[in-house]
Amino acid sequence: MLNKKFYRCFICNDIHFGLKPPEICPTCLAKNAYVEITSDEAARISGPNQATMTREQFRAAIEKFTEKNEFRVNPDTARVETLLDGVFANEQNHGLKYCPCRLRTKDFDEDLKLVCPCNFIIHETYKDKEDGECWCSLFVRRKK
Amino acid sequence: MKKLIMFHGRECPHCKAMMPHVDRLEKEEHVQLERLEVWHDEKNADLMRSYRPVIAPKCGGQLRTPTFFCPETNDVLCGEVTYDKLKEWALKQG
Repeated sequence: MLNKKFYRCFICNDIHFGLKPPEICPTCLAKNAYVEITSDEAARISGPNQATMTREQFRAAIEKFTEKNEFRVNPDTARVETLLDGVFANEQNHGLKYCPCRLRTKDFDEDLKLVCPCNFIIHETYKDKEDGECWCSLFVRRKK
Repeated sequence: MKKLIMFHGRECPHCKAMMPHVDRLEKEEHVQLERLEVWHDEKNADLMRSYRPVIAPKCGGQLRTPTFFCPETNDVLCGEVTYDKLKEWALKQG
């Protein structure tokens, strides 16, 4: 696993998790403002209001996530509802929003690849395909 | 007839789409597929994981559903496929 760490902007308390801190804070635009902190501090700053997400909030989050991308949430709403049933069942039963169409291996780092939205743009069901979609089909390439 | 397994997920739309094909295959070709749900049944999930070295390389490196598997031949068919493709795979196992 990559040795990622938590960093906090000392101006606005934005949290970053990565190999290195951002040079410019995306929230307050301060330069060289990030200091390394513990995961516990990051969790406390994130606050309990970030601990859960309703189905509607998640739906809104993925809609926003796709807004400026070449892919969108599948327009087949019945299919999306079925998939969200699975995503939320997996979160409840297994701790994270795992893809309902792939089984977790029980290797935590490996299974992070299954958390929705996953990095599906490298998958053969999406890459170089005009009608590409992620494996479960929650995300589909926009029609040109 | 060799034992055939279908690993599926309850909320997987591809699995749902394959169920009528499996029903038809069982009725017309008199083969039986053991349908094992893997996201809500940990025993079935562990069984699928035990076949990971065989299944994953043929399914994009992961344990994807639906996966059709013959333990005796180690032959794997994964994803949503046509009825004819499923039938060909199933009959090939002998």
